[in-house]
Amino acid sequence: MSGSAAVSGTASDAVSALQLALTAEQAAAYGYGVIGAHLSGAQQAAATADWIAHQVSRDELEKLLSARGAVPAAAAVAYRLPVSVQTAAQARSLAVLLEDRVTAAYLGLVALSDRALRKLGAEQIRKSALRAASWRDATVAFPGLTASAK
Amino acid sequence: MAADPTRRTVLAATAALPLLAAGCKGVGALAAPPQPAPDVALLRDVIAAEELMIARYQAAIRLAPGTGASTGSAGAAAGAGTGLAVVLRSLLSQHQAHLARLSARLIVPAGSRYPPALSNRRTPAPRLPSVPHQLAAHLAAAERAASGRLARQLLAAPPSLAQLLASISASEATHVPVLRTAGRIG
Repeated sequence: MSGSAAVSGTASDAVSALQLALTAEQAAAYGYGVIGAHLSGAQQAAATADWIAHQVSRDELEKLLSARGAVPAAAAVAYRLPVSVQTAAQARSLAVLLEDRVTAAYLGLVALSDRALRKLGAEQIRKSALRAASWRDATVAFPGLTASAK
Repeated sequence: MAADPTRRTVLAATAALPLLAAGCKGVGALAAPPQPAPDVALLRDVIAAEELMIARYQAAIRLAPGTGASTGSAGAAAGAGTGLAVVLRSLLSQHQAHLARLSARLIVPAGSRYPPALSNRRTPAPRLPSVPHQLAAHLAAAERAASGRLARQLLAAPPSLAQLLASISASEATHVPVLRTAGRIG
């Protein structure tokens, strides 16, 4: 009965999910560079810590892709940010948005049958949800999922 | 992504199989009744844990300072002058959302051999510390344990349930620092 329920288990599923997570991590790593520039003090320190966390995760995903014989998706030189950032409040909003996207991307890993990838996805979802809650100063019931769907 | 009528249909269909088998004549080929789907048992377990968490919060709200104050906005973290009860009510509402979404996946036909709805089994009121900071710490520890348990359970769940459990596990993990902050404020 162990693992019998998992169905989406092909290697290409894993590569696709890893690539999507990588793309979200690359966007976050880029975005936090902008976010940190608009913050100061403890918030800037928090942004720097989160920036580093996304860089580490990005590198980890690249390694996992390379180990599967896939070529990691290349990062863009610059990203069109989903919100304009001129103020500290906008910087925090961008952080929330980027974390939510990272959370959603890692849900793809959780749907895989590969236990190690599933575990990694769940851990990353927890971490990004914690970062998002900190920037949002509030918690949500379903990080990464749309609230309305039942 | 979580809207998954197919999955629910499958769960309902699987649960209905024993009834079909019992109701039909000459089903020798189906002599061995199907076992309940493993994810139904998992879902029931997760639902029971969520109900226990809700019972804890309901008991805690009765003990917390600030009870009787106006209802806090959903998801608000503890702020200056915010009673612990307001924070607890906000977190409770998220647990109620978890329970609703989990329960929506569990469709068991009437008359099936599954045990009655869990809500019929009254969970005894949990014993909780009455000092506010200890109360908050107690709930934080319970959230942390629940989050970790879900993170283990999702490894054996079918894909879309695993995603829901991962999201709920993460939500419960985010409650921990909120409770720690609220416990300090009282």
